[in-house]
Amino acid sequence: MKSILTLMAAVLLLLPSLASAEGAALVDPVKSWDNHWNMFLTIVTTLWAFVTALVIYMSLKYRRKKGQGDGAYIHGNILLEVIWTAVPLIIIIFLGVQSWNVYRQQITVPKDAYEVNVEGFMWGWNVTYPEGLKTINEIRVPVGRPVKVNLTSKDVLHAFYIPAFRIQEEAIPGRTTNIWFNPVQKGEYTAYCTEFCGSGHSLMLAKVIVMEKTDFETWQGKQKEGMVLSPLDKGKKLIADLGCLGCHNITGEKTAAPTFKGISGRETILADGRTVKADDSYMANHIKDPKSTTVKGYSQSMPPYNLSDEEINAVTTYLKTL
Amino acid sequence: MEQAKGFSLKEWIFATDHKKIAVLYLITSLTVFVVGTLLAAVIKLSHWSPAMRELIGAKFYNVSFTIHGAGMVLFWMIPVFLGFFANLLIPLMIGARDVAFPRLNALSYWAFAGATILAVLALVLPGRLDVGWTGYPPYSLVTDANISLYVFIVHLLGISALASAVNFITTVITMRAPGMTWGRLNLAVWGLLGSFVIQLFGIPVLAGAVTLLLFDKYLGTNFYNASMGGAPVLYQHLFWFYAHPAVYVIALPAFGITSELISTFSRKKIFGYTSMVIAICLITFLGFDVWIHHLYTKGVVAWANVIQSFLTIIIGVPTGIKVFNWVATMHKGSIEFRAPMLYAVGFIILFVIGGMTGIANGLLGTDVHFHDTYWVVAHFHTVLSMSMTLLAFGGIYFWFPKFTGRMYNESLAKTIFWLLLIGSLIAWMPLYKAGLEGMPRRYWQIPAQFQEIFKITAVGGFMLILGFVLTLYNFLASAIAGQKATANPWGAKSLEWTLPSPVPSYNFKTIPVITGGPYEYGNPEEKLEGQPAAEAV
Ligand code: HEC
Ligand SMILES: [Cu+2]
Ligand SMILES: [Cu+2]
Repeated sequence: MKSILTLMAAVLLLLPSLASAEGAALVDPVKSWDNHWNMFLTIVTTLWAFVTALVIYMSLKYRRKKGQGDGAYIHGNILLEVIWTAVPLIIIIFLGVQSWNVYRQQITVPKDAYEVNVEGFMWGWNVTYPEGLKTINEIRVPVGRPVKVNLTSKDVLHAFYIPAFRIQEEAIPGRTTNIWFNPVQKGEYTAYCTEFCGSGHSLMLAKVIVMEKTDFETWQGKQKEGMVLSPLDKGKKLIADLGCLGCHNITGEKTAAPTFKGISGRETILADGRTVKADDSYMANHIKDPKSTTVKGYSQSMPPYNLSDEEINAVTTYLKTL
Repeated sequence: MEQAKGFSLKEWIFATDHKKIAVLYLITSLTVFVVGTLLAAVIKLSHWSPAMRELIGAKFYNVSFTIHGAGMVLFWMIPVFLGFFANLLIPLMIGARDVAFPRLNALSYWAFAGATILAVLALVLPGRLDVGWTGYPPYSLVTDANISLYVFIVHLLGISALASAVNFITTVITMRAPGMTWGRLNLAVWGLLGSFVIQLFGIPVLAGAVTLLLFDKYLGTNFYNASMGGAPVLYQHLFWFYAHPAVYVIALPAFGITSELISTFSRKKIFGYTSMVIAICLITFLGFDVWIHHLYTKGVVAWANVIQSFLTIIIGVPTGIKVFNWVATMHKGSIEFRAPMLYAVGFIILFVIGGMTGIANGLLGTDVHFHDTYWVVAHFHTVLSMSMTLLAFGGIYFWFPKFTGRMYNESLAKTIFWLLLIGSLIAWMPLYKAGLEGMPRRYWQIPAQFQEIFKITAVGGFMLILGFVLTLYNFLASAIAGQKATANPWGAKSLEWTLPSPVPSYNFKTIPVITGGPYEYGNPEEKLEGQPAAEAV
């Protein structure tokens, strides 16, 4: 009994000490997470092995022998029951406090963090940098400086998850949430969407590229100079990045959306019975405002895309080649 | 179930006898279990290889996991416990001739049957549901899935479940036989009672949540519609306010039944009956204050996350008490490993894995990484499929004589046990690893680095499917042509075993007077087997 009380006191003493651990210069939540995880895994594996060993031991030791009658008549044992209430309680509170501490690191964004805005859409990620640059499905950041990601969504719920940084958060339309991570090492990491958002959900991946600071600046410089792609390449990239291929395809298969194969100049029958020729202006119009016309036999599930004239031009240029 | 009369369809359609209704629930929920298993096969096939995935397609994959999840939780796990076991056991265990409102009970079943038909039809009707069993808006508002069907199914189920809850709570409170004090109730009855209380308070909230979804989709309201200023995450709060406790709706009866099996086959009084009951009550009430563990990464204020995180993991304590008390019940017992006991022991071992990994979901720091990954999928499958399903099978075997009058095939049941145990370890353990490494759930495409893991788990999945097929065969063949059972093949001391197998329609010829608890094995003062005042026919 006494030892239990001492243990409890120890746990309570631990609380404030953990709470003040925050001030430390630059925490790495990934390390904290991994340490916490190892502790957790050790404890629960031991507990599980202990219970399983007990079950197996009882099963073998107290197997009924021939002619044996009932087992011993025992109601219970208060002391034992107090022990197996108190010990798990202490372990759990200990883990809870430790995990809370990890969580505080996960949600406490360092002040000098590099901030990028990420907007989820069906099905991809729009990234905006403080310098005004934009990328799609690709986040480039300089190594060694904490990064804060402000999240929102254009349409439905998405969630932004980078396993390498043990961090995720919902991207909610109409709201901004945020996460931060500490890219201590150069490399390429994957970000996933973890909130189910339809048929393109499992294709909604983004690259997180952690670069040397100088490389990062060179890249930014090049982007700004407008290291422009040809309209064709740009169109191809847009179609892939914007998630059009989650519904459409370029192979000619019949799916829930008309195929892009041979789309340009095609005679399209609309739901209202009209027949139109799919020229540039028709396609442009359909991309900006898909509800304005609907192809016969299909649902109005295509979301509107707010693209610039130049981008639309790129898309239609590419579509013409299919 | 009068053997002499032969089969009459009318008798079953208009049945109000709790034992008949129990059998109807069992047949219906097993049917959905088969459908759910077929869909699981689709999912596992799609995990097998990229070529398979292309063949199945994203849409069908999404529809499959939606109906698989909804089917297995709402039409198999909950009804097998609160439909089948509750109907079969509660009146028999408390010494009553039927439930308090037999016709309401029939209504509950038929509402459930209607919902079942609609849920299966949802697979083929246009606007197939591809929203996940959770149906989160705004996605569920913008897709062309038939949300009205989804909401109607949930409402039918809700009517069924609320009527059952009122019925059974009333039954236990008012219809216990003389001498059946609260301290003499079977733990199975306590567990079921806890579940019905959860249903009573939780389901109205779920019903409200989906009704608002319906209004948003078809009447142009904006509760969840963010583009009009609504709050999409609100739905998740309301949904999980019921759907988290729903986990305990399944677990509490499973705990109760485990106690019955362990005590009977160890021929030993349940260790710490009182703390077992307290644990059930604690879980019932704590269960309502932990739903935010599904929303740690949804922009909820940090202090709410912290409070509910602690409450969540503290539920591990009463659960731990139960596990240790089971082990202590086996201590100094006289254990006979008939199939139901084997299933109960397997349940404990698998359930402890599920419980421990559940703590990782409840802890804040860890869950920020694990949320919506395969870690969570592995967790709830170790809990539901297999430990809870294993236990349900064990319980069905145990009371098989009571509702069919026949015995199941013992050696087949034991063989299946090993198949299921090993199958579930292969099917779910590797998925923990996938989750730990960051594989998100509900992914039709599988990133190449995870393909290997998924191939292995698919093998385990198919072992489980084989196990299920054999189990269904065992149930069916034994119900038709099994050996005739005696009244009390296990020498059990609980009240239902004083009745003949199968139990006659009126249950008790005269209402018994109860003089002792259900677990009085080895009581030196009690000479007679069974409860003396209960009368055989
Ligand atoms: C959510 C699924 C979805 C996405 C994503 C989507 N579309 Fe569509 N799209 C459709 C459907 C369904 C139709 C046919 C119904 C209609 O006309 O609205 C369609 C029709 C079209 C048409 C007219 C086709 C014809 O045969 O007349 C064009 C052009 C088009 N989409 C281009 C695009 C482009 C470009 C993108 C990406 C920027 C895109 N769509 C993204 C579903 C989608
Ligand atoms: Cu998604
Ligand atoms: Cu939960």
